[in-house]
Amino acid sequence: MSVNFTQKHKHEMITFENVTKLYGKAKALNGINLDIQPGEFISIVGMSGAGKSTLMKLIIGEEQLDHGKVLIDGIDMSTVKSKDLPYLRRKIGIVFQDIKLLPKRTAFENVAFAMEVSGHRKDKIDKDVPKILELVGLLHKKNNFPHEMSGGEKQRVAIARSLAHRPVLLLADEPTGNLDEVNAAEVLELLLKINELGTTVILATHASDLVNKINKRVITIEAGQITLEQATKGKYKL
Amino acid sequence: MTINTVTFYRIIRTGFVNFWRNIWLSMAASSVMIVTLIILSSLMLMFVITNYSVTSIRERVDISAYFKVGVTESQVLRIKTELERNNTIKEVAYISPADALKDFRDVHSNDENLLDSLDELGDNPLPATLQIKAKTLEDYPAIDTELQSEKYADVIDKVNFQDNRLVIERLNKILRFIVIFGVVLTVIFALIAILVIFNTITLTIFNRREEVEIMRLVGATNWYIRGPFLVEASIYSIAATIITTIALIPILMNLPEIFQYIAPNGVNNSFFGNNGFATALVNDYISNIVTSGHITLNIILLMFGQLIIALALSVTSTMLAMRKYLKV
Repeated sequence: MSVNFTQKHKHEMITFENVTKLYGKAKALNGINLDIQPGEFISIVGMSGAGKSTLMKLIIGEEQLDHGKVLIDGIDMSTVKSKDLPYLRRKIGIVFQDIKLLPKRTAFENVAFAMEVSGHRKDKIDKDVPKILELVGLLHKKNNFPHEMSGGEKQRVAIARSLAHRPVLLLADEPTGNLDEVNAAEVLELLLKINELGTTVILATHASDLVNKINKRVITIEAGQITLEQATKGKYKL
Repeated sequence: MTINTVTFYRIIRTGFVNFWRNIWLSMAASSVMIVTLIILSSLMLMFVITNYSVTSIRERVDISAYFKVGVTESQVLRIKTELERNNTIKEVAYISPADALKDFRDVHSNDENLLDSLDELGDNPLPATLQIKAKTLEDYPAIDTELQSEKYADVIDKVNFQDNRLVIERLNKILRFIVIFGVVLTVIFALIAILVIFNTITLTIFNRREEVEIMRLVGATNWYIRGPFLVEASIYSIAATIITTIALIPILMNLPEIFQYIAPNGVNNSFFGNNGFATALVNDYISNIVTSGHITLNIILLMFGQLIIALALSVTSTMLAMRKYLKV
């Protein structure tokens, strides 16, 4: 590994400097400036197509920006080679609206899969996975397949999987989008708990009630630009 | 890229799992590979056998000059030295009347009547002989004419030249046909193999697109994602090589007899400069088979060659499919 992603945080977790991302001629992001501190819980809100997902993709290096600069943990993303991206992604947990669990694998195997991919030994996997499942409150379902679980439980397994590498940063892109109120609340609670344990969490959503309940920093994006920034106890109104 | 043994094992295992999950596709890919290898190997064998025949016939071409009775050995040897100075002649062998008689007795050792009448004759009726080999086949007619000329009329009784050049020319034509036909057929089937494997791997990528996507998101390296596909392609190659070799074993086991039949004592390569180094190598190799009778090593070598070709084909098409459909 040529890039050290595990250094202590003397600087912001994430810095966006005047970031612009174009899809053809359309500006998905237009001059975004944003600092996210280590340990922060930040909600990024906006309608679909406002640029939330593009912002997330820039953080994990899935997309290249057109102007400006993105720093992750002090590292300029434009200097990270594509062969080093996998190592960066092991420091970032990602959760999606469509959950993306492997249907033919149990909860345990789905979480273990993330650890297998990065070359962990079986004994370490057998030791760590139950702990992570316990953290998300699903140890009792470790041998269940995704179709045997509720939507909220599935999303919690996905969160467990994203935590398998002990990431410093957790990106949640509409994690409650497909869930009912009860399940959504469960997932949100889990995200807050993970944040309390020290992981920086970025939550992208358009569910205003969810954001308004938690009293954390809120960034509002509209048409690729930040239109409102509320430091703490942020509220979001459409 | 850091790959430890655990990761390596996981890549291999995933490759095997993929092979079994799409067993019908895998079998189709392996089958087309088998057809390609069988065509390639049989054409190669046909080439080798025909080439060996040509070589052995070429070797049998020579000119024998039979001397008149009463010509002394020293006279014959002087002519031998003279001929050896001719730069179209490669070698001249002297067979004395005594040697000729001994050979004759050996050849006809079963024919009591003939040997009895030979004994009754008392004297050795056989003449001294010079056996002449030319450097190239084209030189023979000139040598033939020279030996029959006035210059040697006093000493040489008879010149025996069997012109096998027509047969050789015909065999060479067959050889050329085998090479062209073989190359064309092999290229066609190699392309079919590449296409089938390309499609198989594409379908495997499609079947596993969810898994691949998740792998990327949880930080799998590109080689971790690609590895199983390459393993799968290698399994096609190995399976095809083994099956092809088993199918060819009946022919391969009989090769020593076939070569023995063509040329009982093997062939002497020093004589065939104009047939190319590779041919000389092949013939030398066959001579070894004929004289030693060891065929196992040759089967292993053939297998190895097939495996290399099969791997080259499958890895190429897999790489192409991955480049197109696997965004890593």
